[in-house]
Amino acid sequence: MASHSVIMVSNLTKYYGKFKALDSVSFAVDKGWVYGCLGPNGAGKTTTIRILLGLLRPDQGEVQLAGINPARDPVNALQLVGYAPELPTLQTFFTGEQLLDFMGKVFGLSAQARKERIWQLLDLVGLKEWGKKKIGTYSKGMVQRLSVALALVNDPMVLIMDEPTIGMDPEATAHFRSLFTNLSKEGKTIFISSHLLDEVQRICTHVGMINKGKIVFTGSIEQVLEAFTQQWVVEAELERVTETIVSSLKKLDFVEDVKVEGNKLMIALKEKKDVRGEISSEIFRQKGVLLSLNLHKITLEDAYLRALKGGQ
Amino acid sequence: MSALRRITVIVGYEWRRALAKKSVLALIILAVAVQTLILTLYSQFTAGTMFLTEEVKPFMWILGVLQGQGLFVQLIAIIIAGSTMSEEYEHGTADILLSKPVTRVEYLSGKFLGGFSLLVLVEALTTGVGVILASWFFGPQNSLQYVPLMFLAIVYSTLIFFCLSFMFSEAFRRSTLAVLIALAILIASSIISQLLAWLYITTSEYLYFYLSRGIPTWGSNYFPSLLMRELMIIPSTAFLNLINDPLIPIEAAKRGVSEAILVREALQQAAITIAVYAIVFILIAVYRLLKSDVTKKTA
Repeated sequence: MASHSVIMVSNLTKYYGKFKALDSVSFAVDKGWVYGCLGPNGAGKTTTIRILLGLLRPDQGEVQLAGINPARDPVNALQLVGYAPELPTLQTFFTGEQLLDFMGKVFGLSAQARKERIWQLLDLVGLKEWGKKKIGTYSKGMVQRLSVALALVNDPMVLIMDEPTIGMDPEATAHFRSLFTNLSKEGKTIFISSHLLDEVQRICTHVGMINKGKIVFTGSIEQVLEAFTQQWVVEAELERVTETIVSSLKKLDFVEDVKVEGNKLMIALKEKKDVRGEISSEIFRQKGVLLSLNLHKITLEDAYLRALKGGQ
Repeated sequence: MSALRRITVIVGYEWRRALAKKSVLALIILAVAVQTLILTLYSQFTAGTMFLTEEVKPFMWILGVLQGQGLFVQLIAIIIAGSTMSEEYEHGTADILLSKPVTRVEYLSGKFLGGFSLLVLVEALTTGVGVILASWFFGPQNSLQYVPLMFLAIVYSTLIFFCLSFMFSEAFRRSTLAVLIALAILIASSIISQLLAWLYITTSEYLYFYLSRGIPTWGSNYFPSLLMRELMIIPSTAFLNLINDPLIPIEAAKRGVSEAILVREALQQAAITIAVYAIVFILIAVYRLLKSDVTKKTA
């Protein structure tokens, strides 16, 4: 495991009574990565996050944030971290501005720094108009946005977010995805736990798949897609599908099978190789009119489902 | 940022949290209202009796201050402390706070000091109101230079039930359970203390005497009045009996010693009892927080 990792999880085991929630989980997240933690309900994602934050004590193993164990030295470890919990319940007696100010104080920010940062963050998460209103009057989505602002109050090196876009409307979801991408470009390390595979595929550079307390795969998005790809498929949309075209394609030595779906052909390949040029030439040779041609490798969702089944 | 600064930030947070609760504000108002009512009734119904002689009128501030310290202040102490830790678990906000750069001991210290300093303010209010009302109803008051000491004694005496409720708040992580159990102990302790005193009077068995002094309510109820007796000479036995430990005159007669000696002895015992209980309760709360996981939202 790389020593320069910002987040390092080694051999983590956690029991709740007799239930083994985590079983020797290990992974590392380097600076600037957006790491997506994927897994079904009860897989151990939130337990991992809570151990990372020092909220839970592991029965075995250790975690480090920038080389510091948060359970032993929470002040220095958590000074570097911003955390947005899943469906947070915030202190309803504060206004958004007051809560950000309080959190700024906890992080030791000066009054001037807090003043500047608070309204900048409220603007960033689209809550500028709501800053002076009590959190008790906020909608779920607004609380979720404020929670992201709270996670950013200390300009953290590491952002840990548990299902960060749950409860947000599509516009806000798109805004926050782009925000996370920009933050990662600024060099921040982001750890996201999510059920939204599409979201993870869009914004994450790396993923860790966890199931029944065990890491089943960890690596870059490209690695995971490559590892779990069984077969590449070319999807060809034609003006009209003819029997001649289908039979000629089937005769090509790199084609495994051809399925007809309306005016589309799903051409399964024998090898993981981009042969769209050869396929389009063959279609033209058979006087077919090609409307579109796409290569489908595998989606993260397919990979995820295969990983959970234990097969590659 | 220093540990002290972090604790101060949490103290400020705790004040806001406690004052946002309408039940705490209602109890404070009720405590002052009851205090006013008791002194009004006392001034009306005891006039001309042995409980309100001309000699005793300048000392009525003691009654004004001490009766406020009784049930209501203990109740406020239990309610403030009972929710201090547990509400954060119930609302899921403990996660937010403890995932910030504070140690668990700093967090607990801030919560404890925040809650207790709020209680001290309530006690300052009831003490001030007690003195003002006594002056209003009974004319100029004597020995007012002892008011600050009496106030500190009251603050110290409420530590037992504040710490007990605080401990339950962390141990059970349920506000209602913490408050109810602490209240049950307060009530049971009062009853058992009376029962043990009665058993001692009837059997003269010293075991009951010492047991009655080990009960938490004995220290919390009598420490301020014992200090008052140590500091001042009150010119009325009848008045003293209203606020004093009833076993002292009995014990003085039995042992053939002056009450002053027994008062000093009892004062020391009460001070030690309060300190021991408070320290044990706090240590249990610290142990629980340090050794266990931060539980997720429970309500």
